[in-house]
Amino acid sequence: MKLKSSLGDRWVVVFAYCFIAIFALICLYPFLLTISVSFSSESAIARNGYALLPQLPTLDTYRYIFVNSGASILRSYGVTFFITTVGTAGALLITSMLAFAISIKKLRYRNVLAFISNFTIIFSAGLIPWYMVSVNYYGLKNTIWAMILPAMLNVWNMFLMRTYFSAISPSLYEAAEIDGANYFKIFWSIAMPLSKTPLLTVGLMYALAYWNDWWHALIFVNKKDLFPLQYYLYNILSNVNAISSGRIPSGASGSITLPAETVKMAVTIITIGPIMFLYPFIQRYFVQGIMAGAVKE
Amino acid sequence: MNSGIDGTRIQELKPIKKGFLYEIKRHRVLYLMSVPAVILLLMFSYIPFAGVWMAFTEFNVVDGIFGSPFVGLTNFEYFFSEHSMGWQVTYNTLVINFYTIILGTVVPVAIAVLLNEIRSMTFKKLTQSMMFFPYFISWVVVGAIVYGVFSTDVGVANKVLQFFGFEPIRWYSEPQYWKPIIILASVWKFSGYSSIVYMAAMSNFDQSLYESAKVDGASKLQQIFYLTIPMLKPTIVVLTLLSVGRIFYGDFGMIYGIVGDNPVLSGEVSVIDTYVYQSMRTLGFSYSTAVGLMQSVMGLILVTAANYFAKKINDGEGLF
Repeated sequence: MKLKSSLGDRWVVVFAYCFIAIFALICLYPFLLTISVSFSSESAIARNGYALLPQLPTLDTYRYIFVNSGASILRSYGVTFFITTVGTAGALLITSMLAFAISIKKLRYRNVLAFISNFTIIFSAGLIPWYMVSVNYYGLKNTIWAMILPAMLNVWNMFLMRTYFSAISPSLYEAAEIDGANYFKIFWSIAMPLSKTPLLTVGLMYALAYWNDWWHALIFVNKKDLFPLQYYLYNILSNVNAISSGRIPSGASGSITLPAETVKMAVTIITIGPIMFLYPFIQRYFVQGIMAGAVKE
Repeated sequence: MNSGIDGTRIQELKPIKKGFLYEIKRHRVLYLMSVPAVILLLMFSYIPFAGVWMAFTEFNVVDGIFGSPFVGLTNFEYFFSEHSMGWQVTYNTLVINFYTIILGTVVPVAIAVLLNEIRSMTFKKLTQSMMFFPYFISWVVVGAIVYGVFSTDVGVANKVLQFFGFEPIRWYSEPQYWKPIIILASVWKFSGYSSIVYMAAMSNFDQSLYESAKVDGASKLQQIFYLTIPMLKPTIVVLTLLSVGRIFYGDFGMIYGIVGDNPVLSGEVSVIDTYVYQSMRTLGFSYSTAVGLMQSVMGLILVTAANYFAKKINDGEGLF
């Protein structure tokens, strides 16, 4: 009996190692493939298809991209960088100010503030009215603010931040209050410095969302100068899509220059490059954020 | 410092009455700090509600939102008529979400439970990092990867098919494959992320239960099925309820990032959200507002119901 169960246990462990290893490889494989193709020579890809190891390794693709579309890629990088930094800084300030206010138990209408935030998660007017007011009344069409303002308050992040602020003992504030500090001062010089890790966590979540956003560009922006990086990639890919589905007649497709396989994958790498580079350092903050959110539930 | 002085002065004048204005004045710094966020909520969540009126009119630009002719429920009727894609996109949304919820629960729970059996910290850390990474990329990049796998001439899938002696498939002109592809892409992207939620729950489990199970001679499989999974049940139920509450919402970015507006595939993978966007351009603002409104109302009903059940199961603790 004892022997049998321990044998079964060993199989469980073996199965665990295999399952996890296979799934992890499935998650990593596409990225390795993408990197490999971006360093391969175009003719080898056309002949053999994608492969895990670069075929006739070369930097030609990257050289080609920077010679031919270097300016537009750099501009898109600039747009994305601006959106990410300005958006994240603004979002962090706005989010943590509201979260701080809601975390103060003495504030009589804090439940009202929490409710009007919460309600927007469960009910909305829908895409079209939102689009209408944004374009007709706020004038966001073809502006960089269209990709910043609508995403500046994420209610989930706000409640995550509030959870952290609520954990700070109110006695720390009371002492400052007696000394005559107002709540902004308390927020700025007590609550914020005590919340460095949560601020980094929430800030990184906002930054990732801004970096990866292309939906707002799709909806609001058709000026090429304002295309963020992800939307630049989207446009390259959707041209490819259109041709490979046979939607564009073969005669017309002759006049469209189909981006080569290696170019598509190289642009993909250029798009996720900074994330890949920063991933080892930022990963744990996301894990912390998810854990904190899960504990709240 | 100001609030202290002002506050006490008012208190002396009106010692009993502490009304709305008194509270606003007393905590005006805190309320002022909420103002930027409240303005954003008003701008992008509350003011748009006025535009919902468009759903009941036949909107034209000249007459504006409130001047356009009132048409009652015509727009809603069209959605359910056989001329529209209404039923089709609703079906697509529900099917894609149904399988995503099932697989998006089973796979992450399996990952969390099995990671728990692994003793090597290096292996654990490394594989966890690998599984979490897809969460960090945009749907456009997922679209590029899906293209790399399924493109007809160079894609990996066709290479594998050919290796085993099958005919290659022109994936991008065969709609029937794309619901599964999209569901798998979603599971691929989010499983590492979701497994962290389950591992967070597992880290709070009482370890002494496992100790006594071991003393009683319980095998690892018995521990998994009689201890871990039953204890994970509340988390699973809450997360599932949360997803069921949003079952009428499709992921616009996922569909557009992977398929774009490819008309060959769109009948099979269009969800309500992409349909609203597409009909804005082809069928007009009023109709697409009506579709969006129905989606929101269904969503509100389902989320409220889900919250009610969560409270029942979770000792009065709701979803939000």
